[in-house]
Amino acid sequence: MTIERTPLLKVRDLTVTFGKGHHAVSAVAGVSFDIYEGETLGLVGESGCGKSTTGKALMKIVEPTSGTIDLEGVEVTKLRGRDLRNARTRMQMIFQDPISSLNPRRRVKDIVAEPLDCWKSVAGDERAAIVSKLLNEVGIDPFVYGNRFARQFSGGQCQRISIARSLAMRPKMLICDEMVSALDVSVQAQILNLLSDLKDEYGLTLLFIAHDLAVVKNVSDRVAVMYLGKICEVGPSDVLYDAPAHPYTKFLLGAALEADPDAPTHGEVLQGEPPSPINPPSGCRFRTRCPLAQERCASEEPVLSDIAPGHQVACHFPLISRRD
Amino acid sequence: MSETDRLLVVEDLSTTFTTPSGRLPAVSHISLSLDQNETLGIVGESGSGKTVLARTIMGLQPRTNVEVTGSVLLNGHQMVGVSEAEKRNYWGTDVAMVFQDPMTSLNPVMRVGRQIDEALRVRMNMPKDAARARAIELLELVGIPSPERRYRAYPGQLSGGMRQRVVIATALACSPQLLIADEPTTGLDVTIQAQILNLIDELKERLHMSVVLITHDLGVVATRTSRIIVMYAGRVVETGSTRDVFHRMRMPYTRALLESSPKVTSPSHTRLHAIPGRPPNLVNLPPGCSFAPRCASATQRCHEERPELEVDSTPGHAFACWNPLPIRPERVA
Repeated sequence: MTIERTPLLKVRDLTVTFGKGHHAVSAVAGVSFDIYEGETLGLVGESGCGKSTTGKALMKIVEPTSGTIDLEGVEVTKLRGRDLRNARTRMQMIFQDPISSLNPRRRVKDIVAEPLDCWKSVAGDERAAIVSKLLNEVGIDPFVYGNRFARQFSGGQCQRISIARSLAMRPKMLICDEMVSALDVSVQAQILNLLSDLKDEYGLTLLFIAHDLAVVKNVSDRVAVMYLGKICEVGPSDVLYDAPAHPYTKFLLGAALEADPDAPTHGEVLQGEPPSPINPPSGCRFRTRCPLAQERCASEEPVLSDIAPGHQVACHFPLISRRD
Repeated sequence: MSETDRLLVVEDLSTTFTTPSGRLPAVSHISLSLDQNETLGIVGESGSGKTVLARTIMGLQPRTNVEVTGSVLLNGHQMVGVSEAEKRNYWGTDVAMVFQDPMTSLNPVMRVGRQIDEALRVRMNMPKDAARARAIELLELVGIPSPERRYRAYPGQLSGGMRQRVVIATALACSPQLLIADEPTTGLDVTIQAQILNLIDELKERLHMSVVLITHDLGVVATRTSRIIVMYAGRVVETGSTRDVFHRMRMPYTRALLESSPKVTSPSHTRLHAIPGRPPNLVNLPPGCSFAPRCASATQRCHEERPELEVDSTPGHAFACWNPLPIRPERVA
């Protein structure tokens, strides 16, 4: 079990608030999780739940308002300047839109070499050799395509180039923010298979952020479900998908569509839409849409606690009974 | 039922664009038909021509650099080669369309209520008050809470799911017999997607409409359509009843599409069957089967000669393939 291992990344009470006073939006409202070395943690939730902001806060692309982020014993939130740049070589991010994350007017080999050039770590033949190796590994022939411009590539190929670039500094950890949601299914499968190969080869630890439940299950060892800035359930992916403990997780899974005409007809559909994060409901944030909500849910906020080994839920009335 | 009783009969329809790099056959020789109160799914990856097909059926092509041949009979009215003024007689009442992006299909500086009753006032010559009352009724029909208040809202004040409901209400304003929904839920969250798809299903029954549901997601069409069409590179490669296409698929592309998408029910880290390569460039199509370069069972013949749609043993099920998959025995439930 992963529990025995030390976490590579420890996140505690992370909050990100945009704006001030009455207009303050707490996009991430106190999120804690661990990611163990070599595992993939999936982060799912609907749009606006704060999953991308969480990913960006880990990279300090957006400044965390409070909380701690501990990467291999280094407290990332306090880092500035060169130390921060140093830490970022160990943690890299891949973004949703592959085409706009590459400069259309730069050559592929220069894009991939950019991190190396920034650090001036290698030059000349060694640099060229590293770039060729990276491009080969993501399935792009460096001799045929290395000198082409990023604008000449399709979305799937651009995502391959982004992956090669993110691996240039040999990071320990990759944050993948909706990296396949802009791609067609046939290309999406190619990229997911590639990611799984590279993860083994480079010994990567992944935080995989996506809204597509089937994709998240496919890549993740453990899955965390977010709703309105908070994590409502974390557990091993097979367990969480088979027997969700939080009512929200159950609805989310019930809404996922199965490509099978004989699939059981859709269960209860979640009514309404998520409330505004400017003025979140008191107590449990899901209570306004939850069919099981009672008075206690409005007065007392449920905290994330163990329901089974490695499986935590933040709910007063979980769908499965607690066991130790 | 004879051909003339059908709501929609498309015959040998082709749409070709003239581009700087050459002629681009976005839709090639497509025939299909649709009965009253039926839901047809059109499935394909981006660039397969599904949206162009829908727009051609509606008669919404650009005015220049496009050539449309074949015939589209909608309720007995020919939609190909007629003037826009004539087509306008059928828009709204015979056919209406819901587009993919609910933000860009609404006017951001016009109150949503006015966008709905515009159709009623212009097309149905309804007086202003009656149109307003009907628009509020439509907002209620598509499940928008407090419709009187929402009537005065601007699109920017509504969420994506609510905006898509408004777009559906606009499409339903003149009680169309056919609703074409082009990726109506792409870009929406899964829980909202389920709400919108249920709404379309429910409205279809209530208003006795027929629906054409266009999507890239096989999960969307699996339980909500009676027949589906699978498109690849502008052509129909397989068509049949939804159960036949899913359970007795003959075209390797259909299987590849199904197997390449991850499933919620399969265990974590299941290796996906990716389709190698990518869809062909339509300007420069290979002479044979368009899928041949990516197909595992392609032979010499596939690269040289284009297969035509061929009817399978089950009526209504057709596929275009020289080396079809073997027929699987009917799955025991």
